[in-house]
Amino acid sequence: MSEVKNEERTWARWVVLAAIIVGVFLFTGLGLGIKVIMPEVFLPGEALSETPILGIEGFYLTNTFVGMIGADIAVLLIAFFVNRGVKSGKMALDGVSGAIEALLEALENMTEGTAGKWTKDIFPWFATITLLVLSANWLGLLPGVETIGFIHEGHGDYAVRDLGFVQTIWDYGEGAENVHIEEGHGASVVPFFRPVSTDLNFTFALAIVAVLMVQVMGFRALGWGYLTKFWNTKHFFDKPIFGFIDFGVGLLELVSELSKILSFAFRLFGNLFAGAVLIFVMGSLVPVFVPAMFYMLELFVGMIQAIVFGMLTMTFMAQATQSHGDHDEAHA
Amino acid sequence: MEFSVEAATILGKLIGAGLAMIGAIGAGAGIGIVTSGAVQAMGRNPDAAGNIQTNMILGIAFAEAVAIYCLVVALLILFVVG
Amino acid sequence: MEALGINLPFLLVQIINLLIVYTVVAKWVVGPVGKMLTQRRETIAQGMEDARVAGEARANAEEEAAKIKAEAQAEASKIVSDATERAQSAGAEVKAAAEAEASTAKDKALANVEAERNQMLGDLRGQVAALAIAGAQKLVGEVLDEKKQHALLNDFFAGVKDGSVVVLADAGLKGDSAEVTSALPLTDSEQDLVKKDVLDKSGAEAVSFLVDPAILGGLVIKVGDKVMDGSVAGKLEGLRQNMR
Repeated sequence: MSEVKNEERTWARWVVLAAIIVGVFLFTGLGLGIKVIMPEVFLPGEALSETPILGIEGFYLTNTFVGMIGADIAVLLIAFFVNRGVKSGKMALDGVSGAIEALLEALENMTEGTAGKWTKDIFPWFATITLLVLSANWLGLLPGVETIGFIHEGHGDYAVRDLGFVQTIWDYGEGAENVHIEEGHGASVVPFFRPVSTDLNFTFALAIVAVLMVQVMGFRALGWGYLTKFWNTKHFFDKPIFGFIDFGVGLLELVSELSKILSFAFRLFGNLFAGAVLIFVMGSLVPVFVPAMFYMLELFVGMIQAIVFGMLTMTFMAQATQSHGDHDEAHA
Repeated sequence: MEFSVEAATILGKLIGAGLAMIGAIGAGAGIGIVTSGAVQAMGRNPDAAGNIQTNMILGIAFAEAVAIYCLVVALLILFVVG
Repeated sequence: MEALGINLPFLLVQIINLLIVYTVVAKWVVGPVGKMLTQRRETIAQGMEDARVAGEARANAEEEAAKIKAEAQAEASKIVSDATERAQSAGAEVKAAAEAEASTAKDKALANVEAERNQMLGDLRGQVAALAIAGAQKLVGEVLDEKKQHALLNDFFAGVKDGSVVVLADAGLKGDSAEVTSALPLTDSEQDLVKKDVLDKSGAEAVSFLVDPAILGGLVIKVGDKVMDGSVAGKLEGLRQNMR
């Protein structure tokens, strides 16, 4: 038993060693000495086509759009496999759908602990957001993402090199002969695929829908009484000072709902965008072995951010369903 | 060496982005405090570890949001402004 | 907004996309998985319930069996114990008579031994006193008043000075019975003195005297649950503690 385990571990060790040796051979002066370039960082999604979709101005087919399609396909595949697994009538699923099931079970337990009887309404949102963001984040870690794309000339710092079947941008280094690039007029790559979490449209869409659904949950649970959370005039006249403070706090709640949108959107975007830039920078500084560690970090961050986004939505929804203010109980 | 507006712009952007990230100090300290408290609580009451972990991650997310705002400002300065 | 890449059409597309994904997940992931989870929980609960019922039934059967067995055992043991009792009562009488005889003989022997020991120690006391006086004479080189020396030595062994027990001087002892231990047997007059003093001061009703050479000299008086240690051994021990 232990011998088999040892063998497996040795095998994995050799693979890591081989990868390091290949990296050293490719990227250092000992071998080919390829210079790893630092790609240009764009904050908005880059357009892949010149003409806008459906003629709407400013609405291009961007690489984050492709990323969105990818994330959708991933979620659909998850749905398909989970559904098939459940239909097969097993007691527990196996493979990827088993992992999804375990994740969902943990999330549902968490929801039940926080939301109580509203679990049935809240949990689907939790699951949706977590699964969608998780697939969007992890798709960005696949090889080829953010590196394969059109070469865009006249924009960037590097020269183009023709490898026959494919072109690439190439860093010839300073003072190389017969390659003259004017600053900012070389070429850069516009990748086909970029994870959709690095597009503010996606994160804002998620945040807006999440905060809206929080309000919807509040109305469903408390009816019009939910509005007294924001327009609190209950004690405005009988207790002037505290009534006024309550009123002010209610208005602040309104502001905090708006700031929730911003904080949701920028948290996800900031983490994922910073992660992508981090991997670029680390890859261009130390191309051998070190990026692998940052890929692992990004794997972790991607999952944590997905769960945090879903969990915060769930928590806010659960809070909205609970009657706010202890005054209600006092009068009841 | 003569004065160049572009160079001064780039200089200002880089310094500004660096200064914007100072705010990450607070978030780092906050995350540290949150985690320290959570770990102590888990040590005292291991049965409640799951619940504490959930709340810890929530608290970390809130603290981290501050750092993310800083990062966004820095990114805006670097890639968007000017 | 333009520089951040936010534009309305794409935002709307994303929102619609999210709603589609929500529908898909709610219908085809959360629904089936939730159903499966509840089913599994129910199955497990059912299994636990079945196991519990089966366990109960078994426990009942076991209880019944145990009851029958216990009854049988009780009957058997009763018969046995009756028989044993009869045999024992016959035996016990014989044994008791023998034991009583033996114990009186033993007590007598013990009393003899004790008296003999005290007698020997009393004889010894005179010899020790003489030896001590002789030794002191040799050491000091002059003859004190022999009577005074005897008195001093008696004080040493009896812990009595100027007609009262030294140990009791400042102790508020209260109790029903007192026990006085000395290194060598006290003379009758000393015993009377000590007894009177102890009875006066402690309110005890009876005083018993013991001899224990290990305390070297002086008296150890035990009244009720309190012990006053006026022995030379105790003082030496205290001295030793102080000198550390």
